[in-house]
Amino acid sequence: MRRNAILLGGIALLAVALTPATGTATSSRAARAAAQQADSQAAEARGRELYQTACASCHGPDPAGASYYPRVPSLADTGGAAAVNWVLRTGRMPWKDNKGPAIERGEPRFNDEDIHALVTYIGKAVGDAQIPDVDPARGDLQRGRELYGQACAACHGMNGAGAALGGENIAVSLQDVHPQDVAEAIKIGPGQMPVGGGLTEYEFGTAQSQQDVDDIAAYVESLRTDPYNEGGAPIGGKGPVPEGFVAWVIGLGILVVAARWIAGRG
Amino acid sequence: MSMVERSLKYLDERLGTASLARKTLRKVFPDHWSFLLGEIALFALVVLIFTGTFLTFFYTPSVQEVVYNGPYAPLQGTEVSAAYNSVLRLSFEVRAGLLMRQTHHWAALVFVASIVVHLCRIFFTGAFRRPREVNWLVGVGLLFLALGEGFTGYSLPDDLLSGIGLRIFYSVTLAIPVVGTWVTYLLFGGEFPAPDIISRLFVFHIMLIPALLLALVGVHLAILVLQKHTQFPGHGRTERNVVGKRLWPEQTFKSVSLLLFCTAVLALLGGLAQINPVWQYGPFVAYNVTSPAQPDWYIGFLDGALRLGPPWDLTLFGFTISEVFWPAVLFPGIAFGILTLWPWIERRFTRDRAEHHLLDRPRDTPVRTGIGTAGLTVFFIMFLEGGNDIFGVLLNVPVETVTRILQWSLLIAPIVTFLITYWICKGLSRTRLRPAQINAGVRLSRTPDGGYETVSLEPVEAEEELEPAER
Amino acid sequence: MTDSDQGSERVDVDRQSEHGPTERRMTGGQRRAERRAGAALAVAIVAGVGLFVVYFAGGQTQVEGVLFAIAFGGLGVALGIWANHLLDAREVVEERHELTSGPAGREAFENALTEEVGPVLGRRSLLLKLLAGAGGALGLALLLPVLSLGPAPGDTLKVTPWRRGSRVVDEEGDPVSLNQVPEDGFLTVFPEGHEGTADAQALLIHVRQGSLKLPPERMAGVPEGTHVAYSKICTHAGCPVGLYRAESQSLICPCHQSQFDVSDGAKPFFGPAARPLPQLPLGVGEDGVLVAQGDFSAPVGPAFWDMNRGR
Repeated sequence: MRRNAILLGGIALLAVALTPATGTATSSRAARAAAQQADSQAAEARGRELYQTACASCHGPDPAGASYYPRVPSLADTGGAAAVNWVLRTGRMPWKDNKGPAIERGEPRFNDEDIHALVTYIGKAVGDAQIPDVDPARGDLQRGRELYGQACAACHGMNGAGAALGGENIAVSLQDVHPQDVAEAIKIGPGQMPVGGGLTEYEFGTAQSQQDVDDIAAYVESLRTDPYNEGGAPIGGKGPVPEGFVAWVIGLGILVVAARWIAGRG
Repeated sequence: MSMVERSLKYLDERLGTASLARKTLRKVFPDHWSFLLGEIALFALVVLIFTGTFLTFFYTPSVQEVVYNGPYAPLQGTEVSAAYNSVLRLSFEVRAGLLMRQTHHWAALVFVASIVVHLCRIFFTGAFRRPREVNWLVGVGLLFLALGEGFTGYSLPDDLLSGIGLRIFYSVTLAIPVVGTWVTYLLFGGEFPAPDIISRLFVFHIMLIPALLLALVGVHLAILVLQKHTQFPGHGRTERNVVGKRLWPEQTFKSVSLLLFCTAVLALLGGLAQINPVWQYGPFVAYNVTSPAQPDWYIGFLDGALRLGPPWDLTLFGFTISEVFWPAVLFPGIAFGILTLWPWIERRFTRDRAEHHLLDRPRDTPVRTGIGTAGLTVFFIMFLEGGNDIFGVLLNVPVETVTRILQWSLLIAPIVTFLITYWICKGLSRTRLRPAQINAGVRLSRTPDGGYETVSLEPVEAEEELEPAER
Repeated sequence: MTDSDQGSERVDVDRQSEHGPTERRMTGGQRRAERRAGAALAVAIVAGVGLFVVYFAGGQTQVEGVLFAIAFGGLGVALGIWANHLLDAREVVEERHELTSGPAGREAFENALTEEVGPVLGRRSLLLKLLAGAGGALGLALLLPVLSLGPAPGDTLKVTPWRRGSRVVDEEGDPVSLNQVPEDGFLTVFPEGHEGTADAQALLIHVRQGSLKLPPERMAGVPEGTHVAYSKICTHAGCPVGLYRAESQSLICPCHQSQFDVSDGAKPFFGPAARPLPQLPLGVGEDGVLVAQGDFSAPVGPAFWDMNRGR
């Protein structure tokens, strides 16, 4: 009887542990998308200061120049102010010493003001100071789903679950990302993602591309705010693999314990 | 006479039910929890049939395009197949529809899992030996039918994920040498994506396979009743008797209790744990794909085999053998062939033609137990590989590394598992006390006032031969 | 008593049947069990009523599932307690009967088969042979409708709707012009008039200038040396290979992780795929719209028995 109780307890613990698994992302902080115009000179100065202490040791003394290490890209090639905004807001930079297959997101290590400062300074230095504007409310949810299916779903999964891309590459989960992340990633093309995110005719600044980004952001936002997990705990949203695990460990597990209890001391 | 007594008398006068029922209710079944594993499978099947019937009233097996205008906002206004639309309608607009659908799907996963566990119990205790070889065949047949039923079932919603799975199945049948293209075109009705396939899968799923399943389950149980259940060796248990409890009342109460537990667990999962959210995957589109892409767990070993398979295709005299042939046609053919023929394979080596109604403890048959765990290891490695991209992300390891490790494991791990299992079995046999002869020897038993007394047990006398015609 | 009843009495060894039904008084343990079973049943009743409330209030999947689980589970617990504590079930020994009918029984069966069978059966007669022939012919003929289930493959697996001069369009049917897809970008394309056709699907990729390492006859099908198109159907098991890694200019298939080098004719360099993705040779029409210069360089998709025989 005691053994049955322990088994049942173990299964229950496992069930609880699996329940909040909605995705691997930590929520990124609300970003002030529009670059603040006031105090841009002060921001630039602060940005230069921060750059020297936090970034220069890898990226080189001049953001527009070469970096110190062959595997570290020069900031002139990575996508400008949008890239800086993205990596800082999502906590990917400064680079943590991680051995994972991708630059993992985490808690941002700078506050909003400092991020703005760095963005201003580096954007000016490399000649690309534009931060994308995005508003999911302007987007067409259905068109966004279609565009997403054409351009993004192959790597990121139709439900935003994310997937391995081979080697050290990962398409991250999009089940808990900020619309600003979507707009910036499309503009930059981080990692293996192409610039334009696979959208045809993507050109930053054009009305059509702005509409496309808003539409996709609307769909990605729906994954977060209204994920339609009507069926219950999504178990990670990764499909049949975790489902099979649950069926064996929780489903069959509880039933085996039940069978042992029913059979008694037989 | 009460109403009940009058009804029973009515039936008995016409059908002889009283004596038939009495005999049946007095049948003895041994009492071990592992003997309930097959019942879990049976009760999962019951749940599948009840929930499945409900689903059948709402599902439309057609690929005709309709415009979706239900509550799932991202798809509003999109053209989808009628099949997909009907599943979404069932999930969002039919009260208790999603519960029934999810319970049905969880029941399918647990159904196959419980068959596998039941099969392992039969295998590791040697219950497939004479006279139960035929029932072993029936059971293995039930396993294959369950796999087919599950695959056809989850392909019915015509969503992107299961459609990808259908495409792979199409390619596997194409890879069959000589007749592959013909078999595939006959089965699917033409080139992929053959639109007929959804309605054909429906026929298999609600009619052909369930009919075979129910018939074979009937045969499975009938043979069990005819031959009586096996039992573990122990006090009073011989090859010539069955020791246990009668069907009525104890086994009935226990079985019904287990049925209720099965339904409870499956309903709990059906309500609390989301499974196969097809609205999120979207409708099947032949040139779209989603990641990660896996089949339901019981097909996962085939997916893993395909991922592990080497890129070796072969061209002989202008004819091609696809690289898909080795992992997806040859390997399952050999593995399931060995599984099916196991009673005869084992008999070839043990030369044991005797009737067995007493089970082996797995530790007492180290070779069989070792081979069984080695076989399970092979399948387990393939399951792991089937989820290699998910495990890779989880463990921060590149997917290529996972694949390489598992490829090497496939060669080494079964042998290692066999040796370790053999060693453990031998060790357990040696160190535990066991009666030298079943039901004979000396037994110590404690008297109520605390002392000990020895009881000498004689072997139970064999019953005299009964005339064959009378039962 | 009937014969069968006699038989079961003789076979059955029930040592306590002579004593009649045992006393129906309950022990303390049984009373406790009765209370526990009763509590479980009461919980089940409440859950059952709850289901009515939830259903008629509009229904909610999670609550319904939990309530069903409690209702069924309560009943299950009650019956389990009942089975283990509230029954007078005793361990019983039942003797096994011989399974075999024995040689005598088998002989009797054989006699039953052969007794009245007459002069034809049991001899190698012409009539029997004709019967076998008719049975065989009819049996095979009954299988004929199976052939109506699908068309002959023919060479449909080896050709797609792409022809020389087919205009390249996207899935909506809009023509695709040169440089419409940005550098590092990709697009799923079809021949005009066959948008969405599964076997025609191709991936148009705008690779970086100078990065392609194709032989000259293949480079002739790559406008400006940057616009290359390959079949999107994986040559392993047919999944659409939609995952383009722009940095390394390679494709990975999500189904079994086959990886193809776009710069090198989409040759597989990892995973189970054995053959490269067939290339679709492209050219540019007068209006700047991309056109195909012919069908794919090889049959698309996974291999099959006669894929290399004629085309």
